[in-house]
Amino acid sequence: MPRIDPDARATAAQCRHYAMCKIDYLATGLCPSGPEKHFVTYYPQGRMDLYRGLSEGQIPVTDALLDAADTCTLCGICDPQCHFITGMQPTAVMRALKGYVEDYRREKGEVVRTAEDEALRKLREIVGRDWASNDPAVLWTYADDPFPLAGPQMPRYVVLPGSRDDVAAVVGLANELGLPIAIRGNGGSVFGFVFTDGIVLDMNRMRKIEFDLENWCAAVEPGVTSFELQQEACRRGLRVNAAEPAATVCGNLVCTGTFSTWSNVYGTAADNFVDMEFVGRDGGVFRLNDKRAPNHFAFEHRGVPSPGICTKAFVKLHSATDDEEGLLVPFGGFDEAVRFARELGQRRIGLAVAVLGAHYVATFLSPDEDLAGKLKAALPEALGVEAMVFAVADRYGRDAIRKIAPAVIDSSLLRLLMLGLPKLVEPRWLDLVREYEGRARPFELLCRPDMRPVVEAVLQPSPETIAGAVPEALRPFYRDLYARPEMTDMVWLNMHRIVSARMSRRKHMFAFLVYVPPDRLDVVHEILDGFVRVAEAHGIDHDFGFLTPMDFGKRAILEYDYYLDHADPAEREKIARAMPELDPWLDELAARVPGVLSLKYVFSQGCSRKENFLYRV
Amino acid sequence: MRIGTGPLRKKRAARTSRILVTGGTGFLGSHIAFALLRAGYRVTVLSRSSKNLPARDRVAHLADWLGLKEEERRRLAVAEGDILDPGWAAAALEGPAGPGPVDEIVHCASNTSFAERKRAEVEAVNIDGLRNVLDFAARSGCFFFHDVSTAFVAGKRTGLCREEWVESGEFTNVYEETKARGEVLVRDVCRREGIRLNVCRPSIVYGDSRTGRTLRFNALYFPVKAALFLRDIYLADIRERSGRKAAELGIRMMENRFLFMPIRIEVGREGGINLVPIDHCVDVFMAILEDSLDGGIYHIVNPRPTRIEDVVDHAKRLFRLDGIETCGPGAFDARPKNALETLYDATLDVYRPYMQDLRIFEIKNAAPVLESHGLVCPEFTYDVFARCMNYAVEAGWGARLLP
Repeated sequence: MPRIDPDARATAAQCRHYAMCKIDYLATGLCPSGPEKHFVTYYPQGRMDLYRGLSEGQIPVTDALLDAADTCTLCGICDPQCHFITGMQPTAVMRALKGYVEDYRREKGEVVRTAEDEALRKLREIVGRDWASNDPAVLWTYADDPFPLAGPQMPRYVVLPGSRDDVAAVVGLANELGLPIAIRGNGGSVFGFVFTDGIVLDMNRMRKIEFDLENWCAAVEPGVTSFELQQEACRRGLRVNAAEPAATVCGNLVCTGTFSTWSNVYGTAADNFVDMEFVGRDGGVFRLNDKRAPNHFAFEHRGVPSPGICTKAFVKLHSATDDEEGLLVPFGGFDEAVRFARELGQRRIGLAVAVLGAHYVATFLSPDEDLAGKLKAALPEALGVEAMVFAVADRYGRDAIRKIAPAVIDSSLLRLLMLGLPKLVEPRWLDLVREYEGRARPFELLCRPDMRPVVEAVLQPSPETIAGAVPEALRPFYRDLYARPEMTDMVWLNMHRIVSARMSRRKHMFAFLVYVPPDRLDVVHEILDGFVRVAEAHGIDHDFGFLTPMDFGKRAILEYDYYLDHADPAEREKIARAMPELDPWLDELAARVPGVLSLKYVFSQGCSRKENFLYRV
Repeated sequence: MRIGTGPLRKKRAARTSRILVTGGTGFLGSHIAFALLRAGYRVTVLSRSSKNLPARDRVAHLADWLGLKEEERRRLAVAEGDILDPGWAAAALEGPAGPGPVDEIVHCASNTSFAERKRAEVEAVNIDGLRNVLDFAARSGCFFFHDVSTAFVAGKRTGLCREEWVESGEFTNVYEETKARGEVLVRDVCRREGIRLNVCRPSIVYGDSRTGRTLRFNALYFPVKAALFLRDIYLADIRERSGRKAAELGIRMMENRFLFMPIRIEVGREGGINLVPIDHCVDVFMAILEDSLDGGIYHIVNPRPTRIEDVVDHAKRLFRLDGIETCGPGAFDARPKNALETLYDATLDVYRPYMQDLRIFEIKNAAPVLESHGLVCPEFTYDVFARCMNYAVEAGWGARLLP
């Protein structure tokens, strides 16, 4: 058998399945074979899985595996795409996979060809020969992801429908054959709800977006990602409330409802669509607005199945004004930041709003994990920043924020900080800031407009400066990338959420999301303390994520994250031991305090009215 | 009193007292601890572990830095503990492995931050921590307490500040305030328990006037460090990036290769800065320890405060800078501050009361001690300044000093 390269194997095992290699979020173009073949197997993410599968002896060499290896051109696009969010460079794995296949052919190894069975024949009749497979290599790329609480589950078939009618026919056939179906929007999931031993439906071929500007909505097929929809909306001077960039719009709407920092004004769940079209479990088609359709706007406080397979969502479009800018309001304490964010919600000031801790701020701003670590330490310790409120606001909103806030990092200062980040964390400068004893807190001084010339001289902000933080081979790419204005435009970045995808860079992230009443800081702290207590007890890395006010500051969504090396069984075991402690504790809290609700109860009920789960009457 | 003057004199002469020094890895604490060892005393240094080093190693590194001899090290014990922990003494001193009974305590542990935003931390050390030390003093056999305080407990005032208890007053910052409150706490416990008490009140302590060596680079050093940081930023801008940023602020290289940085520093028309080198401070402390057996309050100050204009001139000469000038109140009304001045002004605001100090510190108690030991506070000349600042630069402002 050909040799497995241990470094490539280790990299392959770290793939976060964030599917960022499936969207052209850096305008580099995509891996050429992906958009042609559509199966995740033909994207860098799939090839990472193939190499891991080979190295673990999970899969044989098959026709599809050979094809996946052969169609990789080693163009290197996946390196910056993956590095930008995870710090990894997959080309080494791609090279190792191609090398393995080359050696295998040279050694005249057996190539496994799986015969077409009756079910596959019927599936291919529905969707076309190329769009259904039982090749073990293809199946393997749909069998596993970093979710730590379940092992791999091989489906029997992977099917890529091209239309609503295909979906309905496949559902009918699956019912006839007694096969379960799992739907994968974009071939990736971090929660482990997309596996089955039956049929996996990958919606990657259904990618149409139709704008209906008179009705302020876009009809979106289930293979369309949040990034792609937002990009199209932006081109028309509009905006949607978008999920993580590689998440499919329909999948996100059905699963949890879309929440983001923009949920401050755009809400969540049923707030974000005008209507949705489903293929039900019986293969019948219905729209949510149909009076005869089941009532999916209601919410039940228990795990319930999804309404069916979403084949189209009519997503709400929102207008944008040309004077919107992003800003950060730094605070010396978390409570001050939460009060401020809530006040923005109450007073209807600003659009996107979120409280961020040092970890998220550092991670989002830094293109490199080492730099992020330094910034995370420097923010509280040297600059006196414990939390920040991020906001996007028009000029009136910004004027109001400046009047209320003690100090503001406006968009121009933010740009300086982003492009000069490596200088901001240099030890000599940080020592000086740390020892500064003046009345104004260090961050207040930093934010003063009259200090800007000195800040500029110290930080030397430029694409070259920020590119200096990444490995040398990637510096030219980063230099060109950061020369693009959108890369330091917090409105664009926040709408497309490409930097927030960096949150899994340190390790795989296990996110806990809880709706909370932000006026009850005691409850917010009880929740934070609970997550800390359990994490510490089990030796799990952990950090506060974000808190976004909703419904005019009456409610908020809070994220707390656990981090684990999903390739390390001992780390997976830690999460497995922690979960039984977290669930009853959160349930008890939710029963006691109105407004507290774990997002796990909203899973599959993303179409419900938010009022039905945020309030209990 | 827990001990009579006669037995105290004998114990001191025989060097049989074990002296506990809190804050023994700090600037003053370490110098005092090692001066006591050099004088033949048995010393226990109380130290916390740092992030990277256990307490014992921290003290060992300091002993190396201060050139402690082997024989002196044999009389040194290290107790690991944190005065913020009410049970510190039980863990550090009173266990079976502890260094044995404590006869005298030199309390140097202190948070010297002036920043109001750090009030909680400053109060924790200077009040709560002190209380914990005093609790131990009260229940142990300690018979002499040496409180290292500050001349600035005098608070906001002008004119003569006596070597007397300060009962109340208005203070410039949280450091002064908590040190003054601390003195009262110490006085009350020592009176109640019959513990002899010396209160030593140094002014601003800087490095060794003979060698320039120091462990701390705050107070006097910080504004110089900030100026050099800016100098290097703009020198690099001029040399490597065509000097556009420098030019924006009127910074330029002069023909004599001095860097012109236009910074006006607002100072009062009178007063100066009261600076005492660490060598003199320690000498005076040791002399007070030796002479003042009945206890008392002593200012350890410089009778000739330095004019801030002189410090600025020293810095300009040493570091080849020009354009930094002192100016009288109101100068910024006529011409608003530039960005450098804004930064510098914010940097100096906590030090300003000490830069134009109109307080005159009485040395009625200290004078006879100084005289009997032939001690004279060195002047803060250009040579002393250069020695200290060159050392600071070589030591990377502390970064290259100790592990």
